[in-house]
Amino acid sequence: MEAEEFRLVREALRAFAADHRCDAAEVGQAERTTAQKALDGLGLGELRRSTPPLASAQECALLAEEYGRQPLATSFLGTVLLAPEVLRLLAAAGRHAPYGSRPTVALTRDLRFTGRDSEADHVAWDAEGAESALWIGDDGTVRALDLGGPAPTTDLLRVVREAHPGTPDSVLGRLDPEQLHAWRAWALVMVSSELVGAAASFVEQSTAYARDRSQYGRPIGSFQAVQHLLADATVAVEACASATRYAAWCLDHADPDTALAAARVAKAEVDVSAVEAVYAGMQVFGGIAQTWEHMAHLYLRRVRVGATVLTGTVDLLTALALPEPGPQVVEAP
Amino acid sequence: MDFQLTEDQETIRKTVAGLLRDFDDQYWMRKDRDHAFPEEFYAAVAGGGWLGLTIPEEYGGHGLGITEATLLLEEVARSGGGMNAASAIHLNIFGMHPVVVHGSEDLKRRTLPRVATGDLQVCFGVTEPGAGLDTTRITTFARREGDHYVIDGRKVWISKAVESEKILLLTRTTRVGEVARRTDGMTLFLTDLDRAHVDIRPIAKMGRNAVTSNEVFIDALRVPVADRVGEEGEGFRYLLDGLNPERMLIAAEALGLGRVALERAVKYGNEREVFGRPIGMNQGLQFPLADSLARLDAAELVLRKATWLYDNGRPCGREANTAKYLCADAGFDAADRALQTHGGMGYAEEYAVARYFREARLLKIAPISQEMVLNYLGSHTLGLPRSY
Ligand SMILES: Cc1cc2nc3c(=O)[nH]c(=O)nc-3n(C[C@H](O)[C@H](O)[C@H](O)COP(=O)(O)OP(=O)(O)OC[C@H]3O[C@@H](n4cnc5c(N)ncnc54)[C@H](O)[C@@H]3O)c2cc1C
Repeated sequence: MEAEEFRLVREALRAFAADHRCDAAEVGQAERTTAQKALDGLGLGELRRSTPPLASAQECALLAEEYGRQPLATSFLGTVLLAPEVLRLLAAAGRHAPYGSRPTVALTRDLRFTGRDSEADHVAWDAEGAESALWIGDDGTVRALDLGGPAPTTDLLRVVREAHPGTPDSVLGRLDPEQLHAWRAWALVMVSSELVGAAASFVEQSTAYARDRSQYGRPIGSFQAVQHLLADATVAVEACASATRYAAWCLDHADPDTALAAARVAKAEVDVSAVEAVYAGMQVFGGIAQTWEHMAHLYLRRVRVGATVLTGTVDLLTALALPEPGPQVVEAP
Repeated sequence: MDFQLTEDQETIRKTVAGLLRDFDDQYWMRKDRDHAFPEEFYAAVAGGGWLGLTIPEEYGGHGLGITEATLLLEEVARSGGGMNAASAIHLNIFGMHPVVVHGSEDLKRRTLPRVATGDLQVCFGVTEPGAGLDTTRITTFARREGDHYVIDGRKVWISKAVESEKILLLTRTTRVGEVARRTDGMTLFLTDLDRAHVDIRPIAKMGRNAVTSNEVFIDALRVPVADRVGEEGEGFRYLLDGLNPERMLIAAEALGLGRVALERAVKYGNEREVFGRPIGMNQGLQFPLADSLARLDAAELVLRKATWLYDNGRPCGREANTAKYLCADAGFDAADRALQTHGGMGYAEEYAVARYFREARLLKIAPISQEMVLNYLGSHTLGLPRSY
């Protein structure tokens, strides 16, 4: 995408987020629907519809980051970035017929990547405005699941619904192993990007608060302990932003295994750093961040749940510790 | 609950602190730099009658408990002597425990009174190149020949071997393949380090350099049966008896080291001015030191509880391990922060904190690593499956 064009897309998303950001945990269905319509109206679904796509992975990752900055009750990751990418990959390989419904992704009940048994207990994640959910097997098989009623979730803004095996024949096609790796890397990067945006924005907001809030006759931000806390949080955000942006770059420029390794590193870093950064920000907000009315818990919920979405740190580190796949260590001469 | 030390215990603290006042930073810096055993310090502690603190009175000691022993070693480390001072006397203070409990009357008569006066220096030979934390892997072997054993093998890290006349030596008398349990078949000796059959080579190491740690090569060392501690094959269990108090002593040393490091940091923080004010006025320096104080205080309480339990004959594995873990961590953090507080001067030997830093690091590894403490707490205390 041209730089100018991308700037316009990003500004449109920013304007949408400013209009529809949630100030409270309770969001009515009418409000959600209106917001989702507004988001869909931006036409971001076109960005990755064709092959080659209009927008690069890096551009999409930056949009996910932008999206994550505000508490929003719409679906962007699931229905705009994650599920459509599966359909694009299938279509690129000529492996599926046009699919009429608007899907999000299916995850296991504990919000991990699906893989083994499509009959098992699944949910449709980030399901606002979705009509079905895509289940992806370890062998690349893609199935469409039907949606059921709402499922419980800790991230109050994100809609999660029950998902059941589709009827009658729900197999949409099959990703080859490279595509499967590419898609998993893509999903990890997009989810990580959203969390990076959330952490960065929350730290910025708490820094602004430290400037404003006065105690003992001076702004609390003038106390070193507060300054250092925020400086550490900024470093943490920088670490996960860098790892995630590199992983996004790999999606555009490296082979799927390298991209997957980079995406795992990014998610593992985000799982820790984004949560730490939000903890630090909450400490700076003091008592007010402990109230239901304050937006702090919306961010906290997003990053805490986010740290377990798709894969948890333990699984990521275990996968990274294995010699294959992933970049090989080059012996020094 | 009673948090008060007894009058006698207070006296131990004060007297030891007084006794060691003359051994200043210069003294320890020189000994550490020159890799020279602190003879004068050792003589002063021996002269004060402190070495036999826990040895029973009938063998020339004071018969005091582990509480007193930990107070002594904490004070010794805290005097500024750190681990150089503590390691120089550590074995005398409690190391003879297996001999006291399991040794023959003859062995006790021959050795304990001399340990108590400081005349006899002993080192402790357990670790081997292939057997670190997993002691059951030792291969140093004692073969019975009439009224003697003949010992061959190799030990590593043996502290004070150069200075010692005798070694408390763990061997195998039955090979690991031939015993029912891996902990069976080990035998403990307290015997002469006969230099004709034992080659001792100091290991160049990161710190605590006034006391050597050595590779010990044992070649056909003949040891009379009379030098065996207790029964053949029971050596490992004899060591286990002393494990908890050993952890407490190490904890006390780490604690003392942390205390002296913190004192030095506070002193420097008050004195040194940068940007027109004492550096200690910065929260960035003040808070880590305040945090260290809190952590050292908390670690000390667990240590006191552990020694109290032991002296009262109660189970204390959990507390002994926890004390070692918390004291080693708090001690190291305090030393690290003291170094940071000193800025560039922290790197200069003149200010002693670099020495504390090097010594405090050791206590997270030896004689038992932090990881193994967590293994103990995870499996023994929490009841989780053993992970190794
Ligand atoms: C200065 C110094 C003085 C010493 N003095 C003496 C002495 O006088 N006499 C003597 O007998 N010994 C002495 N030692 C040896 C000391 O007791 C050992 O270094 C210590 O027990 C650790 O053993 P190792 O070095 O072989 O480490 P290893 O056993 O090789 O362990 C290496 C690392 O692996 C970790 N590890 C091992 N097993 C596990 C597990 N199951 N789970 C999790 N982590 C694990 C350890 O925690 C450690 O981090 C001394 C050591 C030093 C450095």
